[in-house]
Amino acid sequence: MTVDLYQNPLRFGAAYDELSADGVTPRPHWKHLMDSLRAIGPEELERRWERAERRIRENGITYNIYSDPMGANRPWRIDIVPLLIPAEEWRYIEAGIIQRARLLSLILEDLYGPQELVAEGRFPAALLYANPAFLRPLVGVRVPAHSYLHMLAVDLARSRDGQWWVLADRTQAPSGSGYALENRTIVSDVLPDLFRTSNVLRLASFFRAQREALTSLAEGDNPRIVLLTPGPYNETYFEHSYIAKYLGFTLVEGADLTIRDRHVYLKTVDGLEQVDVILRRVDDSFCDPLELRGESLLGVPGLVDAIVAGNVKVANALGSGLIETAAIMPFLPGLSTHLLGEKLKLPSVATWWCGQSYALDWVLDHLDSVVVKPAFPSRGMEPVFGAELPQTEKSKFAEQLRARPHEYVAQEQIALSTAPVWDDGCLNSRSVVLRTYVLNTGREWIAIPGGLVRVAEAEGSVVSMQRGGHSKDAWVLWDGHVDTFSMLRPRSEPVELRRVSRVVPSSVADNVFWLGRYAERAENIARILRSMIPRVRRSEEAELACLVRLHGCMESRHSKLPKPKNRRPTSLELEQEMISMLTDARRPDSLACTLEEVSRVGGNVRERLSADMMFLIGRLRHSIQVEQGTQFLEYPTMLTACLELLSAFSGMERENINRGSGWLFLSIGRRLERAIYLTRQLREITTPLAEQDWSLLECLLEVADSSMTYRTRYYTTLQPLAVLDVLMADETNPRSLDFQLSHLLELYEKIPRYLSDDLQAMRDALALLRGFDLRELKYPLPGAATATNGSDGLSRLDRFLRELERLLPSWSNNLSSRYFSHARTLPISIGQ
Amino acid sequence: MIYRIVHRTTYKYKNPVSVGNHVACLTPRSLPHHRLTRSELHIQPTPATRTERVDYFGNLLCFFTVQEPHKELVVEARSEVTMNGLSTPWPQESPAWEEIAGALPNDQSPAGLDAYQFGFESPRIRVRPEFASYALQSFTPGRPMPEALLDLTARIHRDFRFDSKVTNVRTPTEEVFRKRRGVCQDFAHLQIACLRSVNIAARYVSGYLRTYPPAGQPRLVGADASHAWVSAYCPGIGWLDMDPTNNVVPSDGHVTLAWGRDYGDVSPLRGLILGGGAHTLKVAVDMEPLDF
Repeated sequence: MTVDLYQNPLRFGAAYDELSADGVTPRPHWKHLMDSLRAIGPEELERRWERAERRIRENGITYNIYSDPMGANRPWRIDIVPLLIPAEEWRYIEAGIIQRARLLSLILEDLYGPQELVAEGRFPAALLYANPAFLRPLVGVRVPAHSYLHMLAVDLARSRDGQWWVLADRTQAPSGSGYALENRTIVSDVLPDLFRTSNVLRLASFFRAQREALTSLAEGDNPRIVLLTPGPYNETYFEHSYIAKYLGFTLVEGADLTIRDRHVYLKTVDGLEQVDVILRRVDDSFCDPLELRGESLLGVPGLVDAIVAGNVKVANALGSGLIETAAIMPFLPGLSTHLLGEKLKLPSVATWWCGQSYALDWVLDHLDSVVVKPAFPSRGMEPVFGAELPQTEKSKFAEQLRARPHEYVAQEQIALSTAPVWDDGCLNSRSVVLRTYVLNTGREWIAIPGGLVRVAEAEGSVVSMQRGGHSKDAWVLWDGHVDTFSMLRPRSEPVELRRVSRVVPSSVADNVFWLGRYAERAENIARILRSMIPRVRRSEEAELACLVRLHGCMESRHSKLPKPKNRRPTSLELEQEMISMLTDARRPDSLACTLEEVSRVGGNVRERLSADMMFLIGRLRHSIQVEQGTQFLEYPTMLTACLELLSAFSGMERENINRGSGWLFLSIGRRLERAIYLTRQLREITTPLAEQDWSLLECLLEVADSSMTYRTRYYTTLQPLAVLDVLMADETNPRSLDFQLSHLLELYEKIPRYLSDDLQAMRDALALLRGFDLRELKYPLPGAATATNGSDGLSRLDRFLRELERLLPSWSNNLSSRYFSHARTLPISIGQ
Repeated sequence: MIYRIVHRTTYKYKNPVSVGNHVACLTPRSLPHHRLTRSELHIQPTPATRTERVDYFGNLLCFFTVQEPHKELVVEARSEVTMNGLSTPWPQESPAWEEIAGALPNDQSPAGLDAYQFGFESPRIRVRPEFASYALQSFTPGRPMPEALLDLTARIHRDFRFDSKVTNVRTPTEEVFRKRRGVCQDFAHLQIACLRSVNIAARYVSGYLRTYPPAGQPRLVGADASHAWVSAYCPGIGWLDMDPTNNVVPSDGHVTLAWGRDYGDVSPLRGLILGGGAHTLKVAVDMEPLDF
């Protein structure tokens, strides 16, 4: 039977092919998958693949590439064909990586303890002393938690003869398990029947075990566990928030934590809350600027001391990066025999640490067949492929090696095995590396069944996510019963009912507050633009002036219009300004940029928002993307679509979020923002309008979505005072100023530790607003003498609004400095 | 001879500091040739927490946290050290330096292992070919180790000018080497870099140096400063101290506070503060010999 969908590897036979031994017949464990793919057919597969891609974009699954300026928030790339691993083979891998985890944690225990391995000459002293990842302040500290390693990642590759080899160990903050989980969700969704009928080992129980393991690290019940991330610019930030959400931990950055009395605390809007366990994704030397790297802004000053005092557990333990170097690999077989009394089950790829003189000699003699890497990766040297080195460079490079041999390690290059990937309508083969994970539960070590498969970008190239490769799921095809436990359905366990909501770290409150403000800002800009665009072209000179005033209500600081005092803009200029306000993402005041901000601050708290909300935020960003040749008059339709999404968002905000502190800050942000815009717009009316400007009133009603209300009450008579009544005084209109202030007041009273001065100021403002009796005001009618008696009242109202324009931002600033800014304050290093 | 040493550090901040986490390395070590007989550390404002810990190199560190808002931090270390003969005597005869350097990697004795860690790059000291070639002018083939060490010390003293204006605590050794100027800390770093570049283990010593007033003038209180010098390891002999700033072998005028791989391991007082804004720092050291 021929594998019709499948393209043979170009250099078939140069490497092990996972799918087929002869390039024609699939291996037995691939047969079911190939049959299914054929049954689905290429067109349907392509459709499903596109659906998966769309879902990744819309769910905001990203991977940041450091070196690429456009690399931030790059969509995660996934292949829909899983790598299949038969049960027998998995048992072999599993036993090998678990043994490795046991061995590595014993090595760490010794190196951070009695250092007998060094004294006995079993572990080279230079590998310890010259290693910048050896954190001396952690030596002699009581063995943290269950072991130094809470989780270990092992990268595996298969050579031509079918043997699996260890390429690398990730011992300090292994990444990728969250992506593996997300890959599983997507692939099992794309190929549901195949997944159901393949008896695949599930992942959920591994993550439950991880949660239990971390919980058991703390002494008391109900410990507070946080996931420490370097922040949104880290390459795997998406994963940090994904895992935090999945496991129910609080996602924090270093600045969210503080040390008091040798304990770690989380800064929350309710005050300081003690932290018991830190799952860290920050590299160890960056975790404490006081005792480790002084220049680090990612850590918590005093964390090491809190660990020494035994008041917090950190997983993986600080210092575990020490054995991430490949240079230890040549010593593992001997150490395994010595420490475990067992032969090393899973071999490491052939490795020479140049600190041993015979290894150095061998490497210099065989430079062409090895890749030379820094023994201590923090030194930042790129791998050197000996064979690619020009003859002239070789002797210079050899000199470099001889001068500081202990800083280099050389490894044999393995021809990586290839696996099928779905690529443009057919299956192609690409090199793959399998990243596996082992977890210490405190009682035993367990492995994720499968793991994260990383795929080379092009045939024969290096496998690296940083270099733009993509990933696939790994299915362990089990031969026994498969546990279909899901994270949300623990069986037969008594449940203790709880009503406590999660704490809200200050930085989260900061982000949701701005999420509320930006979402409302986007809505306001969209509404104003939608009102203006159809009018620009049909406007006469006089009406154009109204539109310029309406434009002024957006307070756009980067306006491209001529200054009003110079001359009036032409309708073409106004039109271009509209387009720029809508689409120019480089303009901070544009709709495009505001939606980017919604997406950014939303992304910062993604672990707090429901999948549906994140999905909406993802769609919002793309809702105003303009294609080539879009006509100016098509923009209002686009804006309507955008406004629909924004309304859906505010609907979810009201209906789908628990009324905790987070929601309070979100809603306060929204009320403040709307009040700010509304006040600005009302001032257009309280500055007496000339008759030709009255059409502005119509626009303002439209922007505030209050035309209907107005018409029901006043039919077609357009009267400034009546408009003021609807937009300012009517407490039943959710878009009136009265409504914003009274709701702001109500929300503000509920936040913990509110500022009583500001609360009072809000009360006063509302009372003042209600004190204005619009019936007593006399609006200067067009044609009438300008300075009638009643205009006094009008100017008082204008003064009040002006004062409010000053007060509203000050409340926002005060809120910021009371609740958020300390989360943004970074410690300053001082020294003699 | 007994020294009474007062080391007072004052930080003044423009704005209040809400939290300050600090580490002090201000307690002199007890060594065969000098014994610590009294030591106190006074901190103002009173820290909320204060703990002592012996670091990996055997220095006594004091960790403290000030949690009340403050605009001034004063740390005063008062110590009394009794001098008791000289530090490790320099031998008259010794094997060639290459022999010594070559033997260290294979020395599995506890002292040898401990010394070996000072042979590698450390956060503030890189190993460079230019340091090696500078050092090799003193470390000529077959030269006895002590002689080569003293020659290097003398050359640094001769080739480099003491100048407190051109460097700060963050200046890299490479820059000091280029500018040929610096202070005691820079010269110590430079000499260590030279020694490590030719595979000799060398450590950074922080301490105090007795100063003498000009003839006929009274001793000025607080005019002394903290000092730094270098110690190199000779297997079979031990650690040999040398002071490149003054071109002397430290004797009863030098008091050792602490040692480490470089300044970063033993800085007398460092910390991280929240708030504070601009700050000023004043350090006053007074080393008073008491005669009984």
